[in-house]
Amino acid sequence: MKRIALLGNPNCGKTTLFNRLTGLQQHTSNLPGTTVEAHHGEIQIQGETVELVDLPGIYSLYAESDDEKLVVQHLLGIGVSKPDALLLVLDSSNLRRNLLLQQQLQELGYPMAAVATMQDSAKRRGLLLDISKLEQQLDMPIMAINPRSDRKLGDSMSEFVSTLAKRPAPILAPNDSAEKLQAFFYGEKPKGLSMETLLRYNRIESILSVCQEQRALGWKSITVKLDRWFVHPIAGFAAFFAIMMVLFQGVFSMAELPMTWIENGFSQAASTIGHWLPDHILSSLLTDGLLPGLAGVVVFVPQIFILFFLIGLLEDSGYMVRASFITDRLMRKIGLNGRSVIPLVGGFACAIPAMMATRSIRNRTERLATILVVPLMSCSARLPVYVLLISLAIPAQHFIGPIPAQSFVMTAAYFAGIFVALIMAALFKAIHPSRERSEFILELPAYQKPRLQTVAQQAWLKCRSFLQEAGSVILLISVVLWALSSWGPGDSMKQAEQRAQAVFAAQNASQGTADAEQLEQLTNSYRLEASYAGHLGHAIEPAIAPLGYDWKTGIALISSFAAREVFVGTMSTLFQSSDDNLSGIRARMQQEVDAKTGKPKYGLAYALSLIVFYAFALQCISTMAVMKKETGTWSWPISLFVLYGAIAWVGAYGVYHLSISLFP
Amino acid sequence: MPKTADQLQNGETAVIASLHEGDFLLRLAEMGCVPGTRIRREYQAPGGDPIAFRVDTYLLGLRLDEAQLIEVLPLDEGGTL
Repeated sequence: MKRIALLGNPNCGKTTLFNRLTGLQQHTSNLPGTTVEAHHGEIQIQGETVELVDLPGIYSLYAESDDEKLVVQHLLGIGVSKPDALLLVLDSSNLRRNLLLQQQLQELGYPMAAVATMQDSAKRRGLLLDISKLEQQLDMPIMAINPRSDRKLGDSMSEFVSTLAKRPAPILAPNDSAEKLQAFFYGEKPKGLSMETLLRYNRIESILSVCQEQRALGWKSITVKLDRWFVHPIAGFAAFFAIMMVLFQGVFSMAELPMTWIENGFSQAASTIGHWLPDHILSSLLTDGLLPGLAGVVVFVPQIFILFFLIGLLEDSGYMVRASFITDRLMRKIGLNGRSVIPLVGGFACAIPAMMATRSIRNRTERLATILVVPLMSCSARLPVYVLLISLAIPAQHFIGPIPAQSFVMTAAYFAGIFVALIMAALFKAIHPSRERSEFILELPAYQKPRLQTVAQQAWLKCRSFLQEAGSVILLISVVLWALSSWGPGDSMKQAEQRAQAVFAAQNASQGTADAEQLEQLTNSYRLEASYAGHLGHAIEPAIAPLGYDWKTGIALISSFAAREVFVGTMSTLFQSSDDNLSGIRARMQQEVDAKTGKPKYGLAYALSLIVFYAFALQCISTMAVMKKETGTWSWPISLFVLYGAIAWVGAYGVYHLSISLFP
Repeated sequence: MPKTADQLQNGETAVIASLHEGDFLLRLAEMGCVPGTRIRREYQAPGGDPIAFRVDTYLLGLRLDEAQLIEVLPLDEGGTL
């Protein structure tokens, strides 16, 4: 199978082309020891399979940041096998800068072809390109395409790609380009690179003078007009905050309906299956262990999809770069970079891709600082926990001023994370100032209408990997939890049942109103307390009791280390909610009464305290593993685990006692 | 009158005359900031830093200290030196 690497500048339409050609038939790969990703996809051309590799967009092969280094690794075959041919994507409206990469690549001896994108915006800028003359000048086949709107792209591209796959390698004069790239890759800084670049631009000027005509100097751009607003000192920041608010609220409100459908579907399924199956331990595994666990995974797919979709729209439209532009000055003051904004906003979806997105930050200290604070952004895994707790303790009808109280608490949880992240970054800067130069140098691409189909496709791929990766962990944990809560040491479970019957009998005698369902609930709760899970929960209770949590919450907290959203699944397993959905767990939790005070056990103080704990604590094992990969040492994830854990504990303690005294 | 790129007014066009030696030289050159290129200041972020320039045909955001490395010769309204 031939492998063809796709190369090009950032924002040249390369990834759109890749997504159009491969659709959902794509997967990502990591080089050993790194988290920098290359996307692979397979396409069928005339009965043969060709593998396409989408590499990160770069301006030059002199690589400093990790995403640029990945490209050089592929081209030189460092730790990964070389591609058979290169497909270069050239932005026609920016040909001069795009050709620098072509000039560097042509000395490496690969069979090469190019596609020219953005013909329409080149025309709008008064640039006329003669493709056949450019083919002659560059000595390779070039085809003009429009990956955004071309309906028959697949047909025209497959013939072009198949010709490229058969193209022989060019015969070159001997040159030392590969050696120079390799030396630069390993950290040497050979002299004369700037001069070399200037000379390449001279050559590019002479190529362009033959095949490109500049008709007008006019550059009527709505981008600059829009930017007057988006970078305005008042309107720009107002727009930034408005967009962030829409992002959080949108995820919350738009996902509500599909989540109800999924919940109802699962509870229907569980009751139907429970009805048909015999009363057996395996039936209990299915209806009390697996199904609630599975429901706990699937129910959050709508939220995760919407969050990734909205962030995708912001990136694809070109807005995110403006957010970097207006915040750079502020971010620099606390030791971050304007470029940190994209990973930080991405952290609202998931810390793992967000930490990977820091690789475009060249300054190592700024990059490290960004990685360290990304986990404080409330990720989509925390959303289900917030949703359960908020709906548990705050009635939907309550308002704080004009804002619904539920939305207010949700937004406050997000801002608490952001606030602590900024403080942590500033602290880190004070302890660990950067010795390297800090740079911004960022292209501001023209605004474009986001490609809904591509963005939705990417969001769905993220959901699919969530279902596969988080899903299998969550399922495993729900089975383990089910086992831990179904068995106990010795004959403790039998004793618990007898105790429950005794208590039931006593209640029955005094009130005479108890029914069979009450006996079952009573038995369940006594059994749970006597089980291995109960012992585990009781063991950590002293550490979390000051925060207002009981041993059941303790079990849920421990299980959250796999993934935070497991909290909801655990609670539903522990409370053996008959209908496996949020309202079911909520109803069960609201029934519980504190034996000492006679008030609801899981009230406002409990909910707020847990929200604060989840907002700050570094609980996700996958996040810690990726942080270890990105920083190269376990000492960062471990010290942050302790530090953020301490902040979470103190914060939750403060909020718990404050809300008890404010709302007794 | 030669000046550096950050000293241009918004909407003012110039031609890059030279780049200062230093760490950023290679990066700026790679981004197309080479002598002879047209550069036009478009707008700046709140606080005046970073600044957005149109370099040849695209928009590039540069910090103040990065723009100060680019020596330019301003053009008049008609596009001449």
